[in-house]
Amino acid sequence: MRAGGDSVLIRYLARRALHAVLLLFGVSALSFALVDLAPGDYFTDARLNPRISSETVAGLRGEYGLDRPLPVRYLRWLRSAMAGDLGVSLAYNLPASALLAPRAGNTLLLASSALALAWLAGVPLGWWAATRKWPGRILSFAASAALTIPELLMAVMASIVAVRTGWFPAGGHLALPALVLAAGSMPVVIRHTRAAVLEVVDSPFLVAARAHGISEGRLVFRYVLPAAANPLISLAGLSLGTLLSASLLVEVILGWPGLGPLLLEAVYARDVPVIVGSIVISAVFLMLGSLVADVALYACDPRIRVEA
Amino acid sequence: MRVKSGVLCALSGALFVALCPGEELLVSHSAKGRRDGRLTVALRAEPKTLNPLIAMDLPSRDVIGRMHADLISIHRQTQLTQPALAKSWTVSPDGRRYTLHLRRGLRFSDGHAFDADDVVFTLEAFLDEKTHSPQRDLLIVDGHPLTARKLDAYTVLIELPAPYAAAERIFDGLPMLPRHILEKPFREGKLAEVWRLNTPADGIAGLGPFRLKQYQPGERLVLERNPYYWQEDGSRQRLPYFDELTFLFVGSEDAQVTRFAAGETDILNRVSPRMFPQLAAGQASRGDIVSDAGPSLEYNFLVFNLSPAVKPTWFQQTAFRKAVSMAVDRDSIVRLVYGGRGAPMWGNVSAGNRQWSNSNIPIPVRSLSQARDLLASAGFTWDSGKTLRDRTGKPVEFSIIVASSNTERVQMATIVQYDLKQLGMKVQVASLEFRSLVDRVLNTRQFDAAIMGLGGGDADPNSEMNVWLSSGGMHVWNPGQKQPSTPWEGEIDRLMRAQMSAIRIKERKQQWDRVQQLIAENVPMVFLASPHVVVAARKWVGGFAPAAMADYTLWNVEELFHRDN
Repeated sequence: MRAGGDSVLIRYLARRALHAVLLLFGVSALSFALVDLAPGDYFTDARLNPRISSETVAGLRGEYGLDRPLPVRYLRWLRSAMAGDLGVSLAYNLPASALLAPRAGNTLLLASSALALAWLAGVPLGWWAATRKWPGRILSFAASAALTIPELLMAVMASIVAVRTGWFPAGGHLALPALVLAAGSMPVVIRHTRAAVLEVVDSPFLVAARAHGISEGRLVFRYVLPAAANPLISLAGLSLGTLLSASLLVEVILGWPGLGPLLLEAVYARDVPVIVGSIVISAVFLMLGSLVADVALYACDPRIRVEA
Repeated sequence: MRVKSGVLCALSGALFVALCPGEELLVSHSAKGRRDGRLTVALRAEPKTLNPLIAMDLPSRDVIGRMHADLISIHRQTQLTQPALAKSWTVSPDGRRYTLHLRRGLRFSDGHAFDADDVVFTLEAFLDEKTHSPQRDLLIVDGHPLTARKLDAYTVLIELPAPYAAAERIFDGLPMLPRHILEKPFREGKLAEVWRLNTPADGIAGLGPFRLKQYQPGERLVLERNPYYWQEDGSRQRLPYFDELTFLFVGSEDAQVTRFAAGETDILNRVSPRMFPQLAAGQASRGDIVSDAGPSLEYNFLVFNLSPAVKPTWFQQTAFRKAVSMAVDRDSIVRLVYGGRGAPMWGNVSAGNRQWSNSNIPIPVRSLSQARDLLASAGFTWDSGKTLRDRTGKPVEFSIIVASSNTERVQMATIVQYDLKQLGMKVQVASLEFRSLVDRVLNTRQFDAAIMGLGGGDADPNSEMNVWLSSGGMHVWNPGQKQPSTPWEGEIDRLMRAQMSAIRIKERKQQWDRVQQLIAENVPMVFLASPHVVVAARKWVGGFAPAAMADYTLWNVEELFHRDN
């Protein structure tokens, strides 16, 4: 039975991996084409330098292959991606992967710190809100209100607070962007936890368990949370993706050396390999988040194993 | 501990000087500090490379400029040339042969000796077409490259294919490279691949005041003192004073000001004049040094598309362009866009250009009635709704494109739109992404009018040949003409070529003055305003001497010091 379950899981993972490859192929081709649609290229900037002639700019475009047709450039990028380089950055003259790797690590560190903060605080608060009538409703309302504040505004406010109080460095430190991102995603965690617990808390099996005299603490950890876990696990997978996209903006404002500042600069500079590489890496993060959530669901919920 | 390391440094420095008796150091008499401390400066973006041969972006050039040195440099305040690695030079009577005498006994930051071979190699590397150096064009005169020949270990002869006025200025910003490191990759055709950001610090050597210490991707780049730097102060202390120079990568101007206010950076190397009030608050509360260094070399302008194919032909009429110029309220632009810290412009040379601005160009008084008279004399009429119409009855409507990333120019466009409405013109402002704008103006030519900005490089007119020659790729109103399409453009072509080869400065000035006059009379561009250079430093930064030319505050970085030390 166990061996059969494992092979099901392996088949599932293989199917997901194949989907991932196809998706990454599509994402990279589409982003390559979309960036190409915008007028100008990396060397357009040099055209406004009176000390650089048009001939020199044309020579540079040729040197970097920008005068080739789009499919040729994409295939060249694809070959480089297969080799793990993700193309050569036009601005940095370095393999895009060498630029993206340390920054992607920083973005992941920021997103996972924020995720941990949001969940460590959000789940107990959500559970507390589900078990208290009016305080719970007030907290739920406050969480809904907090959802309307965009991370962008929170980051600007955090930056002002940092300068005024001196409690945090105004830029370049993990604490401030992690707090901003955690504050941005915590209301969702609180609301979902509250809803999931409320759904379980009055269910017949819990009433029966209570009637058997099982302690409240054991009830929560042994029965309530596992039963409420499914939507929360799915949410956690999605949260990682949401946090990653929100972190790009927050990184720019609060000076965290992640993918955000690099991507923004690459977009302005039309550094195609870095843009496409960033998008591909973000897509990989998203898919991994969702995959981890799916595997966790598979491990936690026997019904899914049976259906599989 | 700190005192100990300072003493050790001083001793090693003294030992080095004693071992190199023939070392011809440049004595800086304006430097009066003490060697110690760290300086932190924000960069608007991360540098892209540490390779001077291929660097195009400003942050890279800001960093490279501190790690390398040139033969002759331009003093950023006087805007005149001064000796650097070349202690002196002579020019042949025909202006084609420059004999440069190098300082003796100098060393690169790795301790290797510098001599004429490095100079010859550097010029060869920059000129090699395979290198694709954006600076190559500076070394091409009259379509041919200059040549460099070693006369002895410390003398180099530079020969120009044609007389070229102020040729010594081309050496500013042309860093001398270490042949002992770069010759091998050069011969292998791999010069563009060297000195990337991930190159180990000991793989890079230069003659600048600092050398690479550490690079943290996305965050900072740290330089440390070059112990072999070739300048000393009056008390024989070798420069630079600071032990370390750190560049923090701070993406936006607002964030730069925020982090300066938070005490995380020590110098703001030029920000928009609109930031001045915010900085002045810091001046009052923390005693920061906030300086307005006056008009920059940058000039902002409205340019019409004068390509022959453009219909209708209003823009081709000088009276139309003059009327537009007369209607534009430049004082409002300076007041509203730059908070009063800018200079209105009527000609193509900013008041910040001390040597070359033509002060005789008449300052036109803004007059809507005179503008209307001009339009009426050119056959334009107004209907009952006060809409301006041309001879055929067509209403005068056009669009102005402007880069969306430049809020100041977007504001200018809005002011111009309002001013031209007073003349009955219907103007639409379209904000475009910067590269799209450049593409439309210089490539596809699909635009009516644009607001742009140029300048900021060298003060010398030769640096803008590409703008003013009718054949130039940056002759923005009608680029790349085979023959000048108007007599006045023909005259500008002749004058620009003449001033380029004139040897006497007075003769050049007369020719360039005439070019400015022709531009003011024919109004191919409506010049608007030049922003002031606004900079700031912490109160303890000594030797702070901001200039209107780039690199505004860091041009004398070796002379900056910590006052409290």
